[in-house]
Amino acid sequence: MRKRVASILAIGLILVPFLFGAVYAKTLRIGSMSPLTGPYASDGTDIKNGALTAIEVFEEMGGIPGYDKIELMPQDTACDPRQAVAAANKLINLEVAGVIGAYCSSSTIPASDVLDEEDIIMITPASTNEKVTERGLAYMFRMCGRDDDQAPAAAKFIKEQLGGKTLFIVDDKTTYSQGLADGVAKAAKEMGMTVLAHEHVNQGDKDFSAVLTMAKKANADIFYMSLQGFSPAAMMTLQAKRLGMKSQIVTQDAMFQPRFMDVAKDAAEGVYLTFGYTDPSTPEYKAFEKRYVPKYGKIAAYATYSYDATTALLKAIKAAGTTDSAKVKAELMKLDFQGVAKNVKFRENGDSGSTYIAFKVENGKFVPYWDPEKGLIK
Amino acid sequence: MEYFIQQLINGLTLGGMYALIALGYTMVYGVIQLINFAHGEFFAAGGYAGAIALAYFAGMGYMESHPVLCLTGSFVLAMAYCAYLAIGVEKIAYKPLRKESRLSALLSALGMSIFLSNGMMLTRGVYDEVYPSELFQGGFDFGMVTISYLQITIVSLTAALLIGLNILVFKTKIGMAMRATAQDKTMSALVAIGSNRIISLTFAIGAGLAAAAGIMYGLYYGSVKYDMGFVPGIKAFAAAVLGGIGNITGAMIGGLVIGMVEIFGAGYISSEYKDVFAFIILIAVLYFKPTGIMGENIDDTRV
Amino acid sequence: MIQEFKKVWKPYVVGMLWLLGLLWPMLGVHPDGTLSFQKTFTVWSYILAGSFVCLVVYVVKASGSAAFIADPLSRAADRMKTSASAMPTWVWMAALLAACLAYPQFAGRYGTDVAINVMLYICLGLGLNVVVGLAGMLDLGYIAFYGVGAYTYALLNTIYGMAFWVCLPFAAVFACIAGCIVGYPTLRMRGDYLAIVTLGFGEIIRIILNNWMDLTNGPNGILGIDRIGWFRFVFENGVTFETIWVKKLQLFYYFSLALAILVAIGVNRLNFSRVGRAWESIREDETAAGLMGVNTFIYKLLAYAMGAFFAGLAGAFFAARMKFVSPESFTFLESAMVLCMVVLGGMGSIPGIVLGVVALIALPEVFREFESYRMLVFGSTMIIMMLFRPAGLIPAKRMGQRSEEKEG
Repeated sequence: MRKRVASILAIGLILVPFLFGAVYAKTLRIGSMSPLTGPYASDGTDIKNGALTAIEVFEEMGGIPGYDKIELMPQDTACDPRQAVAAANKLINLEVAGVIGAYCSSSTIPASDVLDEEDIIMITPASTNEKVTERGLAYMFRMCGRDDDQAPAAAKFIKEQLGGKTLFIVDDKTTYSQGLADGVAKAAKEMGMTVLAHEHVNQGDKDFSAVLTMAKKANADIFYMSLQGFSPAAMMTLQAKRLGMKSQIVTQDAMFQPRFMDVAKDAAEGVYLTFGYTDPSTPEYKAFEKRYVPKYGKIAAYATYSYDATTALLKAIKAAGTTDSAKVKAELMKLDFQGVAKNVKFRENGDSGSTYIAFKVENGKFVPYWDPEKGLIK
Repeated sequence: MEYFIQQLINGLTLGGMYALIALGYTMVYGVIQLINFAHGEFFAAGGYAGAIALAYFAGMGYMESHPVLCLTGSFVLAMAYCAYLAIGVEKIAYKPLRKESRLSALLSALGMSIFLSNGMMLTRGVYDEVYPSELFQGGFDFGMVTISYLQITIVSLTAALLIGLNILVFKTKIGMAMRATAQDKTMSALVAIGSNRIISLTFAIGAGLAAAAGIMYGLYYGSVKYDMGFVPGIKAFAAAVLGGIGNITGAMIGGLVIGMVEIFGAGYISSEYKDVFAFIILIAVLYFKPTGIMGENIDDTRV
Repeated sequence: MIQEFKKVWKPYVVGMLWLLGLLWPMLGVHPDGTLSFQKTFTVWSYILAGSFVCLVVYVVKASGSAAFIADPLSRAADRMKTSASAMPTWVWMAALLAACLAYPQFAGRYGTDVAINVMLYICLGLGLNVVVGLAGMLDLGYIAFYGVGAYTYALLNTIYGMAFWVCLPFAAVFACIAGCIVGYPTLRMRGDYLAIVTLGFGEIIRIILNNWMDLTNGPNGILGIDRIGWFRFVFENGVTFETIWVKKLQLFYYFSLALAILVAIGVNRLNFSRVGRAWESIREDETAAGLMGVNTFIYKLLAYAMGAFFAGLAGAFFAARMKFVSPESFTFLESAMVLCMVVLGGMGSIPGIVLGVVALIALPEVFREFESYRMLVFGSTMIIMMLFRPAGLIPAKRMGQRSEEKEG
């Protein structure tokens, strides 16, 4: 008998921490959704790190009155719609005040439907597809630019600055890359350029020699490369150089990741890419750099957007003094501040816009090169 | 014509890599009738080990003075590392299941595959592991056709490894023991062949070849990543089956065929459907020759 | 206790040293040409400590020193078993059903969502069980039929505006047809040749879904699919219809529960029917089955068609729940997952598969707390479960010895 009592007591003691684990101090919970496993884990981790940095900074600046602590609840989507929906539901259960994410447009769209049913604010730092904000969801915001902003800017750059007449376009059949490639093809045709070919490769491909041989044969002025993630793009650049392709490579915002040059090395020199204008000389950027780099390494595109998205959300919650979505939304709309990546101001449909400029890779660095308004940047 | 030759060279390079990976599949299958889904991960681990070794040599400054020695050294180290990994994996995840249904071993292999690729992600980080590109710069340039030194190295190294393996399997005592174990474990045990040792050896050789393919992959494409084993793994599995699974010559031919079909399908018809062509060829061949190109008429084996 | 420990310490030490040798190159070699040991040892010592605890637990259990806990537990289990068998099966079924019905009242939104996933995957697992467990054909491209079902509903709904209940049979039938198309050329092949061909077909269907822009909208997927709805008669100004959309997740849960129950009953009836016996004879020995007058060709094709049929049903439900379909949901990894559920649960056994599905859907969700360690833990759990229960969690009772095992 005594033994049994002892064993029951032991089991009880083991369970106690679990029970108390559920009782927190008063914390504000922010959710984040991004692929933490799978092929896009690198970009997903950048998003998580950016949000963590933002919370850290915000807490140091006094946090939010009424809350002892702000906590990030990072969820893995693996870029799979089903897991994204599960993650969204999990975040609803955790009663988060808002969600930063997701990465793939195909995860953001179904997840936002679920979050919308519970009126939870979602700010995506990375999904550029038009559909994300164009479905009339009240609580869907976007920190990055849109495909239909970027594509015309890229086409204009190709025509006016590079004097390109013929294009060879390659995309890898994702919502993001194909949307952008189609946009560039359309804009280029309108501006009187010829699209010699528009080829597709598949996600997960690493060998592009067949397509690149084709491009070499076509010998277009411009080789427009639209891929999801910097790593296949770096591989493609490297292979293109090795194959002796002469066309000028132009690419887009997903490659704005310093590791692009690590992988492609000197093949990356002279590659152009369009990216939302980020001024690295602002005090905000420098402060972010000082904090982020020692902890997580080089700054990548989505880290800055995710930082800004989290900061915007926290600022709005602080101003509203409540986590009630309608009030926070009103405050979000009022926001107008200088973030790390850009000046944050939301439009009526939830977009925040982005001025796309062209960067050039020079000596292993992204250098601002061309502005659609002012032309060459010196 | 030049276009054709260029694509032919591309196909040869890719096909050679598939063949090297497919050999590991086919050898393991030949000996214990297991589809080793973790084999693609051995390939990725080889790529990682090679990258680490090369980076270390470069950091020590040996790279400038003895590039060939460093490269050979990293090949040897990576192959040894993968052999070491594969022997352990076999002992942990497959050996206890040898008497059970083959599907349970298959499942264990799938679990191992998930485990290893995530293990690589967690230990080496989520970003690509970069290969030094100073090696094998340049190549022969005949106008439209460009053959880089790297491609020549890869193709010749692949050929050398394949010939070496053929000699090992068909001309040596060890090879004979391997073939005997593949045919009948009980009988080979009666003539004093330790089947456990032979199985370990098979895993080690297969993983070593995959590691060699991994380094070549890294050199050729510039970087390696934790998830890189998955797609080539499936393609190589297809190649092994196409050639007749369990048959070493078949795996070589299968690898080359899959590589060629993919490149020519992409180059001449449509690059987005290139995997479809590869699988259609596979299905067509198996429809007319249900045991693969080189496969002998095996008796009823089912799931 | 010492005795048991002596037995296991050697492989344990060898294994741990092996792990150390494996970890060090990954963690300790740096690109700047330096070597370090500290991080490797820290990680290794954590693993060492963790596995040592497991080892001690194992040794204690094996030596019987834990009898003071294990004995009352096993006695309680025995008592429960005897009382369980004393009660008729329907009581347990009713209790289970009641628990399932009451579940969403207690579980939150997230719990209900996971439960819906479980229900849909139960359909998939049971469908695949027909092909793999009953007819004995290894199918690695099964998820493609799920995709066909999902896309059928998505397209019929968005293009023609057809309602869910009208589309449901279409989805199942189209998946069935796809199953026959895939099945026909593959039936000549056996074993692993069949496996790779089905894998190939699965990939082909996914690539077509991804590339056929005009029909499937490619990688963008199809948006704005209707939920499940039903008609209600409204008796104002004559008789009109009014559509009620199933908005609440809980209601959807009940629909998927009903589907899972129907599929389970269907597979159960198939299993014990003439057809089921024919499948089983094909699984055990195809040549003998043919000699006994079983039309192996038709029955194998039927197995494919039935499996695809259930997957098509589940697919339509999936599309209705997500309101969005894209090819990313139908990758090879999903096929492998469904296969894992079937094998892990125990091939051919319905309760086993249900348990397997619960394990494999719930585990990654439970492991969400591990963030990026999630899949690592998941992979190792899969290996461990297989090592401890190689025949599945609840093996089927009527499984005979299979021919290929006798050979080995």
